[in-house]
Amino acid sequence: MLEQELINIWKNSSKTAQISIETDQLIHEFDTKMTHIQKKIRNRDVREISASVIGILIFSFFAYEIPFPITKFSCFLSIIWFAFVIYKFRKSKLQNTAEKLSLPLKEQLAHKKQLMQQQVKLLNSAAYWYAGPSFITNFIFIIGLGNPADYNWSNKLAEGLLPLTVNAKIVMITGLAFFHLFIIWINKIAARKGVQPIIKNIDTIQQQIKNE
Amino acid sequence: MNNSQDTFDQLLKENKHKIYRICRIYAVAPIEPQDLFQEVVFQIWKSLPNFKGKSSIDTWLYRIALNVCLRSKMKLDKNNQKTTRFDAIHFTPVTETIDPFEEEKFKYLKECIATLNESDTSIIVLYLDELSYKDIAEITGLSENHIAVKMKRIRKKLFDCITPKIN
Repeated sequence: MLEQELINIWKNSSKTAQISIETDQLIHEFDTKMTHIQKKIRNRDVREISASVIGILIFSFFAYEIPFPITKFSCFLSIIWFAFVIYKFRKSKLQNTAEKLSLPLKEQLAHKKQLMQQQVKLLNSAAYWYAGPSFITNFIFIIGLGNPADYNWSNKLAEGLLPLTVNAKIVMITGLAFFHLFIIWINKIAARKGVQPIIKNIDTIQQQIKNE
Repeated sequence: MNNSQDTFDQLLKENKHKIYRICRIYAVAPIEPQDLFQEVVFQIWKSLPNFKGKSSIDTWLYRIALNVCLRSKMKLDKNNQKTTRFDAIHFTPVTETIDPFEEEKFKYLKECIATLNESDTSIIVLYLDELSYKDIAEITGLSENHIAVKMKRIRKKLFDCITPKIN
């Protein structure tokens, strides 16, 4: 008796509101929302890729213009690294957009957890694939800078931008070291505060599902 | 209307109340049941082209509704935020035909469901919608036996909680 009563209470609970849906208009609104979402994603991708493309262009210019061999070599390394960053971002995005909401609850949670674990791995390893290589290539670049007169080289723009004295090199390397440490730190924070709590919540639900 | 639009329209007509019931249980402030309902409907529309017919459309729809609701409640989405309201969906409160006692009983039921954990909540909402253990198993990904064992415990817990309140 009580069971049937609960079922009735449950079924009547949706009668508190009359839901009317104008499907044509709704689909139009959904299309608008999808276009907005896609535009946002495209703009973000363009921003990230263009940052790397600008980096590639700048270091290509340096590689062409600067005569110092070690610095030239570091420019090529930087170009490879920028290309790798584009690849890494694209790969990570493809994995993260694959949300499968029509899977059974248990499988969906496992899938979501896998995506989140990949995200944590990416963020926690930023020191190895992002900050580390970037700092090393910049370090080689700076160390490799020599005396322009030794190479009969003169470029006012590049000379104005580059740290050519020992003091300027020390200041630049120290600044870069702090900047890259900051990048590692914010990635760790993003993993700890943004993604780990989600994994913890999924673990809790998975444990509840497992229990009888 | 084209074919997929017809299917979507039909799907909403037949299932909007089922979806809304689930949303009323899972919505946690500042998200309101109406917001959650709109998000579920949006995800159904987004996923519909990928429906392969491997399961029944009802099973498929319940899966999306539960996954979206759980994602919202447990903040499993990093972009979890209040969704924009769609003008094409109207909620008109029905006051004259609602029995206030009935609404109070629902309040008790909701309170008792809230004492259950997330896994049990997802099972009980499906059970109260009179789905068979087989269907619940297909939606949750658990075995029928596991559902049966869990239901025995959930039923007892729910009855123990609600009986004194209703009486």
